[in-house]
Amino acid sequence: MSPASRMRTAAEGEGRGTRHSPGAERGEGEQRALLEVTDLAVEFRTPDGVVRAVDGLSYRVEAGRTLAIVGESGSGKSVSSLAVMGLLPDTARVARGSVRLAGTDLLTLSRKEHRARCGEQVAMVFQDALAALNPVHTVGFQLTEALRARRGLSRADARRRAVELLDLVKVPNAKARVKEYPHQFSGGMRQRVMIASALAMDPDVLIADEPTTALDVTVQAQVLRLLAEIQAERNMGLVLITHDLGVVAGVADDVTVMYAGRAVEQAPVVPVYTTPAHPYTRALLRSIPSAAGTGRLPVIPGRPPSPAAMPPGCPFHPRCDAARDICRTEVPPAAHPAEGRMSACHFASDIMAGREPAPEAGVTTSASGTSVPGPKGDPDD
Amino acid sequence: MGRYILRRAVQAVGTLLLVMFLLHLLTTVAIQLNGNPAQAFFGDKVATPAQIAAVEQRFNLDDPCYDQVGNPCLGPFVERLGQYAQGDFGTNLRGREVSEIVATAAPNTLRLFCVVLVTWLALGMLLGSAAARWRGSAGDHGIRLTSVLIDAFPVFVLLIVYRYVVAVPLNGWAEDTFGENSWPPYWFKPSFDPDHPWATVVVPGILLGLAGSAAFIRLVRASQLESYQGDHVRTARSKGLTERRVVVHHVVRNSSVPVVTAVGLTFAEALGGAVITEGLMNIYGMGGVLWEAVRNDDVGLVLGVVTLLAAVTVVVMIVVDIAYALLDPRIRYE
Amino acid sequence: MSDAVTPAPTARRPGGAPSSPLADAWRRLRRRPDTIAAAVVLAFFGLMAAFPTLFTTTSPRTCPIREARTTPQGWGGEHPLGTDALGCDVLATLVHGIRPSLLLAVVVVSVSLLIGVTLGLLAGYHLGWVDYLVSRAVEVFLVIPLLLAALLVLSLFKGVDLGTGTFNVILLPAVVLILFGWMPYARYVRASTLEAKNLDYVTAARSLGASDLRIMVRHVLPNAIGTVTALLPTSVAGVISAEAVLSFLGIGVRPPATSWGIQIEQGSEWVLGGAPHILLAPLICLVATVLALVVLGDALRDALDPRLSA
Repeated sequence: MSPASRMRTAAEGEGRGTRHSPGAERGEGEQRALLEVTDLAVEFRTPDGVVRAVDGLSYRVEAGRTLAIVGESGSGKSVSSLAVMGLLPDTARVARGSVRLAGTDLLTLSRKEHRARCGEQVAMVFQDALAALNPVHTVGFQLTEALRARRGLSRADARRRAVELLDLVKVPNAKARVKEYPHQFSGGMRQRVMIASALAMDPDVLIADEPTTALDVTVQAQVLRLLAEIQAERNMGLVLITHDLGVVAGVADDVTVMYAGRAVEQAPVVPVYTTPAHPYTRALLRSIPSAAGTGRLPVIPGRPPSPAAMPPGCPFHPRCDAARDICRTEVPPAAHPAEGRMSACHFASDIMAGREPAPEAGVTTSASGTSVPGPKGDPDD
Repeated sequence: MGRYILRRAVQAVGTLLLVMFLLHLLTTVAIQLNGNPAQAFFGDKVATPAQIAAVEQRFNLDDPCYDQVGNPCLGPFVERLGQYAQGDFGTNLRGREVSEIVATAAPNTLRLFCVVLVTWLALGMLLGSAAARWRGSAGDHGIRLTSVLIDAFPVFVLLIVYRYVVAVPLNGWAEDTFGENSWPPYWFKPSFDPDHPWATVVVPGILLGLAGSAAFIRLVRASQLESYQGDHVRTARSKGLTERRVVVHHVVRNSSVPVVTAVGLTFAEALGGAVITEGLMNIYGMGGVLWEAVRNDDVGLVLGVVTLLAAVTVVVMIVVDIAYALLDPRIRYE
Repeated sequence: MSDAVTPAPTARRPGGAPSSPLADAWRRLRRRPDTIAAAVVLAFFGLMAAFPTLFTTTSPRTCPIREARTTPQGWGGEHPLGTDALGCDVLATLVHGIRPSLLLAVVVVSVSLLIGVTLGLLAGYHLGWVDYLVSRAVEVFLVIPLLLAALLVLSLFKGVDLGTGTFNVILLPAVVLILFGWMPYARYVRASTLEAKNLDYVTAARSLGASDLRIMVRHVLPNAIGTVTALLPTSVAGVISAEAVLSFLGIGVRPPATSWGIQIEQGSEWVLGGAPHILLAPLICLVATVLALVVLGDALRDALDPRLSA
């Protein structure tokens, strides 16, 4: 993506960002949320007890907008979207929270009813297209399988629709390629097929789980641009899950940064880049390589905590460069250092302002601090 | 696809040649160590050297290499290949053509294998799928226990118990209940009846199939479990397909690939089982012929039948390879 | 066993040292009562094979014909399990018959394992012509079913005199069963060698200049051994029942040595003749041994690949 286009999209993002802001406790905005996740918690049964992979996650997606969920692997970003789709493995369960899709709480539906809304209203693009597509069926079959099974399309109509879909995602020579199998496609083309198959039923919301991670850098940009175009064209809500804050800038409107199963910062895209309000976001931004950059790229020391052994206090404190005593004992509440912004840091305002927190300040008051539910995620509860 | 089949076929011919050479080597070494099998023709009678020489010539054993231990006897091997190519697989001790014996015996073996295959697939697919679908449930544990128990009774034991302990009273009961000329008594006849080839082959076939089905149940379960955990199944679910459709088109369909391969591998094992089954139940099939040949020391017949069965196995393996390619496009387009 | 798949956020055992797969497997095995029962059964028969005199003082070769087909007299009687058609003590025959079967099974499985692992490792590691030769050999031997090969070879070599020592009576069946029984191990080991060869730590070891032998033995083999270990109990069971079939046909263990297969053959004629114990005694022992082995194999399979457990 060229710097110019990045600037342009970023500017648009800023313009819109003042009208809409993320965060679940906001009142009804001007636009109804298509997908609204509130206080979601997902637990896994493991041989060593129950661990919490997602804890108190909230976000909303509106029509025509893109929400990027950013986090390292294991931060709970994929698990939360599987919960939305009702695709959690048997060992996992939703401990609390709600997932409202066009007003209905999906989590209260039966498995069958929940399944019926998948594909139709909310669809998902998976990370590794080679594994996510079935190797023994043709691409055409997989693109229109849902249409044939659920809407009773005839074989001929399905074939026509499959060609349309491949055209839509700009796979050249679509007519011939619908008869081919996934392994005959290149990585980028396969990911396009994956996207096309998610679009087959015209969903209102598309969740894309690291759609470009397995691809070459040049192909990554193409696929992302394609996603952004289709999203704009159809006025869909798009949830883009990624571990790379760098790819977010050009396409996202809002950003949710996740760490150890929790949202640590939620904000429109531009302010996140210019004035991050959480030390983790700040560290992530610093570790994005830039073309002009010289010298060593800073890295975040340490590793993310395992959900089975969560540190007390702020989960990020062992790796945080601004940690104070309070961070080791108190879980930071959700602070709102500015209009439409959330940061789960004791020193959100300081970080946002680019100040170092006072050496051993008491509790730095953060604007309207609604408390995040107390420390959960003990390995044994 | 055509090229794939051709390549496999050429490879199979090579394998078959090697197999025949191996069998030839074994026979040669046995003759060299054991003394001349021509003597067996006469049983306990004492034959004159001239008689033995005549028999040797008839069975192609007159080559001097059979007296030199370690000589691979390539000459007779080439000669034998020529005979095989003309459909001549030698004769038994009484001079009957092996190919003729096999031709009359093969249909019964085919019948037996039909029953076996149906048993494998029915038990394997049904129980294996159920175990995978409801993994960890009481049913899963029950199915696992069943497969362990099946494994614990080798075909041999199953058949002995059936033939000597169960069949006779069962047959009597069926005659009393359904009348002497109805079907059921034939099902439980303790030995084969050429007038009712299907009815008398059903129970032995099921027992033989049962013995192999434990492996199938496990395999189907394992490969379906793998499918259930596969990303493509998650994708199918994310499209909102019903669970039934996901299971049929994405779990069962995908796990059919390893299952078909297993049919090929288990086939060879089942041929061994067929020998026991046909031998014990007096079924006049290829295995039964072999069983009797072993009991009568008819080495020529044993060699002929084993060679033919090896050829059949090679053909089955090609068929399996083709089925494999049809089921898995990744192989087809390699 | 309810510990199922660990999901994406992998949990490291808190405070626990990282444990090796084999140690894990062992830990899982010890917890299962069925495994323990199976081990006890096997230990019992193993003891019987090693010290037959602990179980019976009667010789299996004293067969007074006038005592033929005595019904079982229970523990303490002269013939606790009765006598067979020739008047030989069933218990004595049973006790002395296990040694050849068990010895055969152990010899066959360990030698074929050795051959299979060596060839599989070499083929998978070196590829090229070694692999070609091994793969072709596997293919050729797989085409001839084990039992058919055994029937052929044993009837071919029936007349060769090999003596009557403990090893001599099983020599021929052992050679055949090994000759046509090493392939599965080679296939499994080759497959997992191919897999392990490209693992990062193996590449690392190679780039650090470790010798081929060292890499194979220290890094590749441990990876491959898991699947093969799970095969072993079932293979032993397979050899035991194959031996029974061969003996039944009179081409297995050679007389005067006895075996369960020979006993079953003799007993099968008398089931409806009023002496079912002659058949049932060896049959029950055979099934018990095989069952114990199969249970053990099943538990091992589970322990080594917990992904598949219920």
